[in-house]
Amino acid sequence: MKNAHARWVIWSSLFVGLILYVAPLPLSWRWFRPELPLLVLFYWNLALPHRVGIFSAAVTGLTLDIINGSAVGALGFGAVISTLFILLNYQRLRQFDTLLQSVAMGLLVGLALIIERWLHGFLGMTGAGLGFIYSLPATILFWPLVRNSLRGLRRYYEVE
Amino acid sequence: MLVVLILCLSTLFVFRENPRIAPLRTILIDATATVYEIAVAPREAWRGLTNYFQSRRALQEENARLRQENLVMQGQTQRLVSVLAENSRYRALLNSSELIEGDVIVAEIISVSADPVRHLLVLDKGSDQGVANGQALLGAAGLMGQVVTTGATTSRAMLITDSTHAVPVQVVRSGVRALVAGIGDIDQLIVRHLAATTDIRIGDVLVTSGLGGRFPPGYPVAKVTDIYIAPGAAFATVTAVPLAHLDRGRHVLIAQYAAADATVTP
Repeated sequence: MKNAHARWVIWSSLFVGLILYVAPLPLSWRWFRPELPLLVLFYWNLALPHRVGIFSAAVTGLTLDIINGSAVGALGFGAVISTLFILLNYQRLRQFDTLLQSVAMGLLVGLALIIERWLHGFLGMTGAGLGFIYSLPATILFWPLVRNSLRGLRRYYEVE
Repeated sequence: MLVVLILCLSTLFVFRENPRIAPLRTILIDATATVYEIAVAPREAWRGLTNYFQSRRALQEENARLRQENLVMQGQTQRLVSVLAENSRYRALLNSSELIEGDVIVAEIISVSADPVRHLLVLDKGSDQGVANGQALLGAAGLMGQVVTTGATTSRAMLITDSTHAVPVQVVRSGVRALVAGIGDIDQLIVRHLAATTDIRIGDVLVTSGLGGRFPPGYPVAKVTDIYIAPGAAFATVTAVPLAHLDRGRHVLIAQYAAADATVTP
């Protein structure tokens, strides 16, 4: 059970995060949509840094780029940088209490998004100012939920 | 690590420009649409279920109502035909070219893009059905946007409110030409570069001017809601509200206008 299903559990949780992320919301509510796929990715980075790393981050980021219709590679780059940060500091991040961890995750998601916007700026795709930051409060609020449910999943399937 | 980062950066450029990637891009756009379809599957199932159990009486009432509407519309179309004929006679008198009327494709909105700062719609018609980049997207009440990427069976359209979008327009009342740009807000547009002395008033309706050859002329785009002229400033700050219901409805029209050849990179 241990290693045979691990990959399946991880990738299917990322896929479910993606599906929930694109689930239809009225256009006027779109500011309150948490960045679920990034949160799921960061959870696995934090819990299993030896298993989910740079490569998974690149794949997740590129998929999100394609889905969002933005420049392919921009969020990929951002997600890789944030993941690198988690991989270097996972032991410290694990010790944080829920509130601090949520804020840290919000900052890391924000970092990935800022890098995405920055690369977009290079390509001449100027965005709507700081609009992308508006999704961060929802992202921060969702982190404890994502962490606890994925932790349950990880323990149930004994993913290591 | 560095390799992955460089890979991301290189896709950034290769994916945008390289024509050899085009088939792959088409496949990826269709694959993306599948993800969106999975996400809306529960809603669709619920809709199908409620449709199935709709009572016969409700259906009959709806049918009667639609018949009436159809009759009214047909009456209006008859008038439209005569007006069009008259219009083309006048245009002939003025020695101007006749309006080109293209076909339209009815497309269904599968989903809206999840990225909050990009106003994109995923549509269920693609190049197989004749959709091409740059075609105009029309709603019942006005212009909605344009097609920006096309897959084989699905496509993506950018709304006029996207912060990277602009439409050449004309004020109906005075004929003044202007550009209406999106600012990333779903119910606000901004009219760019209008001199402070321009003849424009609150309540003016802006229609597509057809300049630039991208959008068919004469479709309503927006209504001016606010004009602010700062003392000493060269340009007026004019805001407008889009006339099309951008966040409502399930069906849109894709107008196959003659001059739709330029491409937009996403």
